[in-house]
Amino acid sequence: MELDKSLISGSMALLVMKLLEGSDMYGYQMIEELKKRSDNTFHLKAGSLYPLLHSLEEKGYVSAYEQNATAGKPRRYYHLTRQGRGALQEREKSWSIYAHAVNRVLGGGVCYVGA
Amino acid sequence: MSEHNTIQSYLETVASQIRWKRARPIVTLELERHLEDQRDTFAAEGHENAEQMALAEMGDPVVLGVKLDSVHRPAPQYGLLALTILFALFGAILRIWLTADWEQYYMDIDPLKTLLAFALGCTALLLGYFLDYSRLGLHGRKVYIGALIIGVMALFFSPHIAGVPYYTRYIALCYPVVYAFWLYTCRRKGWMGLMLSIIGGIPLALICVLTPNAFGFLMLLVTGFILLIMAAWNNWFELGRRKSLLSVILCAAVIVGTGLCYFLSSDYSIRRFSIALHPEQDPLGAGYQAYAIRKALEISMWFGEGTWSPEIFAYPFEKTVPGCDSDALLTTLVYKLGWLPFLIVVMVFVALVGLLVYRCLKHKSQLGKVVALAVVITLFAQALCSVAYNLGFTLFSAAFPMVIGNLNTVINMWLVGLVLSVFREESIARDHACDEKSLLPRYRIKILVQKC
Repeated sequence: MELDKSLISGSMALLVMKLLEGSDMYGYQMIEELKKRSDNTFHLKAGSLYPLLHSLEEKGYVSAYEQNATAGKPRRYYHLTRQGRGALQEREKSWSIYAHAVNRVLGGGVCYVGA
Repeated sequence: MSEHNTIQSYLETVASQIRWKRARPIVTLELERHLEDQRDTFAAEGHENAEQMALAEMGDPVVLGVKLDSVHRPAPQYGLLALTILFALFGAILRIWLTADWEQYYMDIDPLKTLLAFALGCTALLLGYFLDYSRLGLHGRKVYIGALIIGVMALFFSPHIAGVPYYTRYIALCYPVVYAFWLYTCRRKGWMGLMLSIIGGIPLALICVLTPNAFGFLMLLVTGFILLIMAAWNNWFELGRRKSLLSVILCAAVIVGTGLCYFLSSDYSIRRFSIALHPEQDPLGAGYQAYAIRKALEISMWFGEGTWSPEIFAYPFEKTVPGCDSDALLTTLVYKLGWLPFLIVVMVFVALVGLLVYRCLKHKSQLGKVVALAVVITLFAQALCSVAYNLGFTLFSAAFPMVIGNLNTVINMWLVGLVLSVFREESIARDHACDEKSLLPRYRIKILVQKC
């Protein structure tokens, strides 16, 4: 099923930071990993990923370093910083509140009738 | 999209949207690698138009370029630039003002030359500020060899004043930064890298010894040790943090031990050290300057001119305290204006260095951090030795940065400009995985075994 792009774009930073929580990755690897973990639901465009990664780096949430990848080519790996871990926790919390609220509304939720 | 048939043309379009030219190749390199990966994957899956598919996957190059442009902008350092210029201007005015009513001008205190040095210093500051320090980092070996050649040439061809080649003292102020660039080239080379990083410091130190420039030598030694510790801590040599740190500390212990042995076995060094501590033991000989400085400080006030009395010295202040218009200018400041203005000058400088240290420790690139740290240590070491000198401990002479000396001001302002360029370019700071190309040609031996 094709997802509405606006649904993904708002949570893209959260997804990327979550990916980096486990291990350091380079851009291409992140796209592949996200595809794999979401059963091909999330298909990140590289054109959106790199500006996002660079702005996260600017904010100090991720740091980057160059290292040779398994294929031998040098790649720019991203690492979630301590500040980034803190931001991730906060975003995860906000997301769960948001998702919970959306689910309640979609599922009928609490209904105040005839007060 | 149709006009972008190749990765190169696509990347050119992305780059054209990024206004900061220096950021273009750095940012597009990552995209290029990504596109190559994607192309290879599509090709492996059997697609014929793999490159076009990879480009389509990346999206519109103009939109991507615009997004990257908003992230990658130089971070102007106007505050620190203004603080440096104001401090240097204050230093120039102070030099002229303190010596204005003296009969003879020392060549350094010629008002015109002082103002010219300030103007040149501002130019050097801006040159350093707009310099691409990362390019120097990529060509660290060439920078190192160039600095060595200049040092050796200065040793032989520089005019000699009091038996010392005049310009080597100033060239040595840049050696900690040169060493930082050298150290950066030794990364990822294991034991060989560690050995090269230590050996690389020897020729620079040798130039200081041959000058002779004890302050330059010690400054290089201390800076080199701190930078090596930092490199070992960050595992630059890929030997493991503990192993690298132990090796550096062991090496430092050997050098310090050798130095101490030499010092203890040299009567001249011991005598010089004891006179620096107790100049009154030889008040008319080697300890005269320190003795005169201490006497001048004794009669200084908190605010305002000190009370000079012919009972202390027969001649006026400027004819009594040697170097009161150069290395001992801070003593002149204390004597003529008081301890309070002296403390304000020192405090402003400490604030400037403190700001640089704070920004340096937060910097994300290792090259940037090491370069900034080398400069900060150089500035701090000069200030520390100069203050000690002007308080009557005249073991090492050093000019207070941007307050004392013309050429000294120009070089120190260039160094500050270099640090500010590190901060300015933080958003595109990269530590490259690739090494600098060797200066020497590399040969590959091919052995062919032929079956008989």
